[in-house]
Amino acid sequence: MIRFDQVSKRYEGGHEALSQLTFEVATGEMAFVTGHSGAGKSTLLKLLALIERPSHGHISLDGQSLTKIGQSGIPKLRRSLGMVFQDHRLLMDRTVFANVELPLVIGGIAPQERGRRVRAALEKVGLLDYECQLPASLSTGEQQRVGIARAIVAKPSVLIADEPTGNLDPQLAVEIMGLFAEFQQVGTTVLIASHDLPLIKRMRKRVVVLDHGRLVADVAAEEVL
Amino acid sequence: MSASDQVQSPPVPAPARTERSHRRPVASWREHHGWSAGDSLRRLFSKPVGTLLTVAVMGLALALPLAFYLLLSNAQSLGDALGRNQVINVFLKTDQVASNAQLLAKQIEQHDGVASVTVKTPQQGMEELSKMQGFSDSLHALDDNPLPYVLEVQPQDGISADAANHLVDDLRSTQGVDLVQDSGTWRERLDALLGVGNRAVLILAALFALAVLLVVGNTVRVDISSRAEEIGVLKLIGASRAFVRRPYLYAGVWYGLFSGILAVGLALAIEFALVEPVARLSQAYGGKLRVGGLPPWLLLAVPVAAAFLGWLGARLVSAWQLRRAA
Repeated sequence: MIRFDQVSKRYEGGHEALSQLTFEVATGEMAFVTGHSGAGKSTLLKLLALIERPSHGHISLDGQSLTKIGQSGIPKLRRSLGMVFQDHRLLMDRTVFANVELPLVIGGIAPQERGRRVRAALEKVGLLDYECQLPASLSTGEQQRVGIARAIVAKPSVLIADEPTGNLDPQLAVEIMGLFAEFQQVGTTVLIASHDLPLIKRMRKRVVVLDHGRLVADVAAEEVL
Repeated sequence: MSASDQVQSPPVPAPARTERSHRRPVASWREHHGWSAGDSLRRLFSKPVGTLLTVAVMGLALALPLAFYLLLSNAQSLGDALGRNQVINVFLKTDQVASNAQLLAKQIEQHDGVASVTVKTPQQGMEELSKMQGFSDSLHALDDNPLPYVLEVQPQDGISADAANHLVDDLRSTQGVDLVQDSGTWRERLDALLGVGNRAVLILAALFALAVLLVVGNTVRVDISSRAEEIGVLKLIGASRAFVRRPYLYAGVWYGLFSGILAVGLALAIEFALVEPVARLSQAYGGKLRVGGLPPWLLLAVPVAAAFLGWLGARLVSAWQLRRAA
């Protein structure tokens, strides 16, 4: 479970990105965080991944207070998260296989097991035939799917994505969101920051709406029109 | 009501970290190192020209002190052949008889630094003199043989000037000895020269080791700078600082190891190039000159020490550079 309790984030210079934010995402739930540019969506995800620290309030993940995690504990926390980025953040000098394998290498998984899991993840995103290729030879949508495979390969309990369909055409965007929905089906908590309202509506999942760092609406899945 | 209230909670797969830390920490550690070593090698081979140039610069820097060491050890051998350990002639008093000479010879043979002692009788001395041009006639004019017993003391190979001087002093103070004749000045000069050479080799080795450290450090610094984005990605997906750093440390080890091997190769090539001219020189000294090669322990120690230097250079720079990259 992800829990934000009265969380505020003020950057150096005084800009308040998040203000008194309180909400929960249950284990195995899929939710969208949306809002205009500058609403605080990315900051929210950065706080969850401990890329930034909150100025006030508490954040917990599966009962663990993130506020209490020191610098040395950050890698361990991030290994329990799967992160997908708008710009994929792939290592362009490594093959698709090597990119997806990285979280397992970091996790100290044995080579044979790594190979099995990487292929399973690539099969899941439909890129099994591309494992020996370099990311640069793939389309943007395929690169994003590699990024998703990398995020899920270590079986994280929580998957967070920052504008994962921002660079994709509508058809590809639906496919990618479909993948996230499939991961939710197997029990992964999924939190996606996106400003693509038509796509969000189409997915019919819970939507948390931010405006200038404040929570202005929390719409349940069945209430999304 | 929020949607979270309505979502059932299916079982959540265990995070990978849990598997690593509880099931197989030693195996994980080994796999991390294996992966880092392989990854750093892959990076080195992915830019072969740059790697070759770096290794060549470091290899040459390490080969120079080795070459000096090789030349110095041969200079020492040459010095020995030229007479560094030439015979010390001990002239006994004329009242010393054969039995005394033999007794003294046995005593002197026990001395540290003495390889052998040969007794030369007055008769043998006279025969040698008579063979010399100009002496023959004048020797016939003598009624008696005026020559004393002479002990030819052969110092051990590689004896130092101090030890030789000490030996000469002991010989001079021995009862029954009239005169001791040796080449002390030559030996002292040679030792002083070799001392200067040895010190120069040490200084050069230290300077070039520092150069290796700096070359590796700078290479790793540039490598880390050019991979700032990759480092950021690794950290985002849960890599610890040690994990991020490890491939750069291995890169330092590889650079050092390869340059050490190259340096040994170059030194062996120099040694090989010297074999023929030194053999000719040796013949000129009746085979007394021995060609000294690099000892096997040094051939092994150089790559190992170079790998350590590479690791040290990478370690010093990566700690600082990764903090900056973070």
